[in-house]
Amino acid sequence: MPRRVFVTGMGIISAAGIGTGAILESINHLKTGIGKLSLFPSRHDHLPVAEVKRTNAELTVLAGIDRNRDIYSRNALLALIAAEQAYGCRTFRKVPDHRTGLVMATTVGGMDLNERCYHSLKRDGTYRDYVRVFDSADCTEKVAIRFGIKNYVSTISTACSSSANAIMLGARLIRNNKLDRVLAGGSDALTKFTLNGFHALEILSPTGCRPFDRDRNGLTIGEGAALVMLESEVSADPEYVLCEITGYANVNEAYHQTASSPGGKGAYMAMEQAVAAASLKPVDIDYINAHGTGTEVNDLAEGKAIGDLFGDRIPAVSSTKAFTGHTLGAAGAMEAVLSTLAIVHQIVLPGLNFEVPMPELSFVPVQQKDHAEIHHVISNSFGFGGNNTSLVLSRA
Amino acid sequence: MKAYVTASGVISPQRTHDTHGFPEHVYETVANRMQCLEPDYQTMINPLQLRRMPRILKMGLASAKICLERAGNIDPDAIIVGTGLGCLDNLEKFLLDMLDKDERITSVLPFINSTHNAVASQIAMDLQNYGYNYTYCHRALSFESALQDALMHVSEKPAASVLVGGIDECTDDFVRLHDYLGFWKHPVNNLDLFREPGSGTIAGEGSAFFLLSGRPHNEETVLLQAVQTLFMPEGNADPETVAAELDLFLADNDTTPSDLDVVILGLSGDHHDDYIYRQLRRNYFAPETSYAGFKHLCGEYYTAPAFAFWLGTTIIKGQHVPAVVLRDSEQKDVIDRILIYNHFKNTEHGLMLLTRAKEGSV
Repeated sequence: MPRRVFVTGMGIISAAGIGTGAILESINHLKTGIGKLSLFPSRHDHLPVAEVKRTNAELTVLAGIDRNRDIYSRNALLALIAAEQAYGCRTFRKVPDHRTGLVMATTVGGMDLNERCYHSLKRDGTYRDYVRVFDSADCTEKVAIRFGIKNYVSTISTACSSSANAIMLGARLIRNNKLDRVLAGGSDALTKFTLNGFHALEILSPTGCRPFDRDRNGLTIGEGAALVMLESEVSADPEYVLCEITGYANVNEAYHQTASSPGGKGAYMAMEQAVAAASLKPVDIDYINAHGTGTEVNDLAEGKAIGDLFGDRIPAVSSTKAFTGHTLGAAGAMEAVLSTLAIVHQIVLPGLNFEVPMPELSFVPVQQKDHAEIHHVISNSFGFGGNNTSLVLSRA
Repeated sequence: MKAYVTASGVISPQRTHDTHGFPEHVYETVANRMQCLEPDYQTMINPLQLRRMPRILKMGLASAKICLERAGNIDPDAIIVGTGLGCLDNLEKFLLDMLDKDERITSVLPFINSTHNAVASQIAMDLQNYGYNYTYCHRALSFESALQDALMHVSEKPAASVLVGGIDECTDDFVRLHDYLGFWKHPVNNLDLFREPGSGTIAGEGSAFFLLSGRPHNEETVLLQAVQTLFMPEGNADPETVAAELDLFLADNDTTPSDLDVVILGLSGDHHDDYIYRQLRRNYFAPETSYAGFKHLCGEYYTAPAFAFWLGTTIIKGQHVPAVVLRDSEQKDVIDRILIYNHFKNTEHGLMLLTRAKEGSV
């Protein structure tokens, strides 16, 4: 009998708010986190982004860091703040140290520092110590050091599905009785590197993303971090149980390095397998927190896959990226946190910026927060390289 | 949670891509960096794709295909890749393009190819494989994390076959930036790496893929028993702490230090980093155990443990420890059990236990 996996804590920092209370407030008031670029000068500063409106100095204070002790990328600061919310704020039932693990995810790690000092570093070795914090693991290790986690520490990087995969791995480690408690999630800071990359791919929205709208015009890149505390029955204090991870699936579409297949095959397979893994049927799903980036290709593929899997009983669907932006390596965990909020508060979360239905689809996204019976939620995360992941979160 | 090692495909600074067993000739160079001896990709990869494919993707795809072909063209249930730095060359290319041209990007291809999971997805596309597809990027634990996941797959689904690999590429900028941090020795003959005093090592690279299976397909001789990773930031890791962790790991696998026929250690030639290995050898492992090093053959890189994994499987299959890897010890007559222990800068520590498979041993 596989062991059950519960979410017992969570942390989030995003453009739409710091902490679950603040982000819920933004959602209640339909207030987007998308705005003007202020973090760094850029040729593309006319394009909207979803920044966490705090300087690195402010984040350093929020993260509770003594000045000058080490080098912190913005990515690591965001992760530490979210990790503190998920792990640092309360005491836990005692489980042996070696039964606690950490799985983090990111797409570009410490790129925010890398792109700032690469030239001088390469020229004459100025900022040489920064070299250590450029990679994907640096942020993970800083979180591990903060909480003294040592027996299972790892980092996943599968593009925009990274942190959904971190949560899936955390759940598998508990189910397989490898660990009792896993802190899992992801982080990515806004960088010139990713802004330019997505700009060069010509998929950034000039207006702010409009998920599942006929006139959608691209994604809006964001930043932030989110983590969840996953616990087994052995470890979880019933008082803190927020929801249960009942299903998950990761598949590869094997179609294209950057684009989803027009038919949404990967999205379909991921959702179908995740629902089956939860021993549920599509009709049991009450709400889908979609990947919904607002690009031409994603929303069509994902929308079609939803239509194909759910037929004439399509659950409530929305993409919260219109609030948070697309936070890349943090997106999957951020949306798992939002899906958990939907379960805890028994609400469907709205999207934003929707006006005209897509003619190819038989559903429109949720536009107002609604109270509803929420038993089971699907959270979708799809990434470059055809990496598609769906999580099923259920009322415990 | 054990798995048969069904086949391997390895591209490394040694001639490993087209040899079965340990290569007869060992490659020597005087440098602070070792580069892969790459095969002719024309026979393995579609020429149209090949032209635009970054080097790390060629290495990854080719070694994966060599491995699967040797396994009898099995379609794996999962593809799991460990890579410390991913597609570093393309990441640097895009970064420099952006910085030098003041954000007037000349080509988006390096951005697409800079994603850490490009190797795993390239393999999936080539095989048209829709299965589980993960990429671990955690410094010196990347390959061990991938192996742990593979073992978990086999335990979830015993009939499963998992393609698992460790891959990293070395670039000029990587060597240069880490030179500022004192990572490398002055140019040295790689075969003298362990005799060179002082700090620093040789930069390396490689791609090693393995097919692991819950059930035997052919006449597999090597079993992966267990993998363990430890994160101990500098200051926490001393030989006694590592010895205590080794005790737990070996006991979990019904093994004592004297059961180990060969111990493969991640000796890098850096006096400080090698201290733990020297102390463990002196005070923890049994005197009759054989000791092997491997980084003089492949250099130091985050997924170097994948090269050690290949070396371990080769030693068990051939029942022979090549003289060039033996460190001041003799080979035992029968080799049933090999421990691989690697650490990077006393921070990320990985343990892997390989055994000789016998009838009904899973």
